[in-house]
Amino acid sequence: MRAGLRNRVAMFFTLGLAFLFMVIFGLLFGGNNFSVTYGVVDSDHSPQSQKFIGALGGIHGVTTTVESKGQALNDLRNNHVDVVVEIPQGFGAALGNPGGAQVTVRPTQASQTSSTASVADQILAEVLNGFTANGARSAVVLAPPATSAVNKITAIDYFLPAMIAYIILQSGINYVAIGLADLRARKVLRRFRATPLRPVQILGAQIAGGALTVVLQLLVLIVAGLLLFQAKVYGSWLVALVPMVLGIGAFVGIGFLLTSAARTSESARGLSTFVAFPMMFLSGIFFPITTLPSWLQTVVHVLPLTWLTDAMHRVMNDGVGLADIALDCLVLAAWAVVTFAIATWRFRWD
Amino acid sequence: MPVIDARGLVKRYGDLVAVGGISFSVESGEVFGMLGPNGAGKTTTLEMLEGLRRPDAGTATVLGADVVREARAIKARIGVQLQATALPPLTRVREAIDLFGALFPTCRPTEELLKDFDLEAKAGTYATELSGGQMQRLSIALALVNNPDVVFLDEPTTGLDPQARLNIWDVIEGVRQRGKTVVLTTHNMEEAERLCARVAVVDHGSIVALDTPASLISAHAPGTTIDFDAPNGVDAQRLAGLDGIDKVTANGRVAVTTRAPERVLRQLLDPAATWLRRSGDGQEVAIRDLRVRQGTLEDVFIALTGRSLRT
Repeated sequence: MRAGLRNRVAMFFTLGLAFLFMVIFGLLFGGNNFSVTYGVVDSDHSPQSQKFIGALGGIHGVTTTVESKGQALNDLRNNHVDVVVEIPQGFGAALGNPGGAQVTVRPTQASQTSSTASVADQILAEVLNGFTANGARSAVVLAPPATSAVNKITAIDYFLPAMIAYIILQSGINYVAIGLADLRARKVLRRFRATPLRPVQILGAQIAGGALTVVLQLLVLIVAGLLLFQAKVYGSWLVALVPMVLGIGAFVGIGFLLTSAARTSESARGLSTFVAFPMMFLSGIFFPITTLPSWLQTVVHVLPLTWLTDAMHRVMNDGVGLADIALDCLVLAAWAVVTFAIATWRFRWD
Repeated sequence: MPVIDARGLVKRYGDLVAVGGISFSVESGEVFGMLGPNGAGKTTTLEMLEGLRRPDAGTATVLGADVVREARAIKARIGVQLQATALPPLTRVREAIDLFGALFPTCRPTEELLKDFDLEAKAGTYATELSGGQMQRLSIALALVNNPDVVFLDEPTTGLDPQARLNIWDVIEGVRQRGKTVVLTTHNMEEAERLCARVAVVDHGSIVALDTPASLISAHAPGTTIDFDAPNGVDAQRLAGLDGIDKVTANGRVAVTTRAPERVLRQLLDPAATWLRRSGDGQEVAIRDLRVRQGTLEDVFIALTGRSLRT
């Protein structure tokens, strides 16, 4: 009865969009096509640094070029390398310290390769971590750590959970915020108010419709990711479902809240972009959070997308169980409850 | 017992008083009109009766039920057509009727409504592709989907071309003939005169007059207006001295108000009485484009508020 008011053409485009997303990302980073080139500046010149470079270069799809700093930065500007890694003096000595060693990373500025940079960072961090842990003890074992997920995951494996989080963010906010504000502006909500429907039925149907749209988009995205691009998922789908459902609740709640805050459908449109856009860049989907200044990292850790992305990565890439993502789920649930409460309280029918 | 009984309804928006104490009652089977300019408070009054807005003061009953406490029960038994109707995006005509029918405990068959409102050929069309008149027919059909006893129509013909307007008038007349009580708002005086048994003239949130159109006209705009062009000008004072003339205005067209139109016309057009038709400087007056018209609700509105409806 209530679902009777979904519209089919828009649905087609909506699902097509999710599919398109997967295809584009799949083609960009899918399977063996993925490659990342590191420009390595070795200021240490120690055996350890040499081995580290070797370990990095040994990963499938990774190319390393050892060069001078000036040359490396030049290559970075010209897009000849994706990331510049600087190994500082004393790197080899620091490996034995409890604090471990550090390398400095410079990603490219070009936005189209930012996703590559994000993966590149992830790979680098994992190699360095594994290297440090082993190197601190014996400094002999240089093979990439076998247990680390990063050795097995391809870019598409990494991006599938990120894209799931992204779709939940975009669609959850947009379909509810813009859809509801639009129906309100065109007095459709008011027209339904003139029937015996209860207010909760009218709003509930619209919000449920928005949530359903997100679910369908996710289905398309996941099926395309798994079948077309052979993304591998290491965790349980059942566990992954928990943060997904809570995430949908949180972002649909945010969408509902934006409808309550906006007066017109135009301002709802603007608001949802204003809210979704920064979150998209600040929550570890396209950029790793660790590259942000520390004060911003604190802010970012309040945002629900950070938690959702984190939970999806850890379940789908690292294969952790529900207990390991309990905090993420709790934060998402809190977002859902709080946004729905405020939105219900502040909602205006016209 | 009246079908609708409103007593002292008040609605404020901040400092703005949208409705400032409106009282009236509507009998069963009556077409009741609320006539007034935009912003007079007609729609707000209607929405309070439909259970869409809570009155700040006053009470009202519809079909014996209180509009605040028993709003849901009322909504099941009334039909509502809102101003500037919209449907969910990409809804076809038949789907819209089915959808709204499903929202009520009882509903009329979709085919019957399509036939009654001449929408059979458009049943598979998206509502957004309908013409203004067709869309309005659909929204009135939706108001009747639950076979209500009372139908509220908010400006059912605003924005329609004259032909579509006539068509909607026929539709409303058909609704009345089914024995429904109809409450409609309009700022078209012709519509009010033609459709309504009684008309409430509304201005600034209050009813300034309420009666049958004929009584309103004879009380507030009595007499006949004869007006004409006088290219050479006219001596208004000499014209006013004519037997049976109540009032003369001469800005642009010359307008003469009279309760004895036959006598005035005879004198005005008498070829022997040319002295009547002389302008100030003694030139002979040419009378062109002469028209005779009865008082209308427009005149009633001007007489009551000093302003024209069409603003």
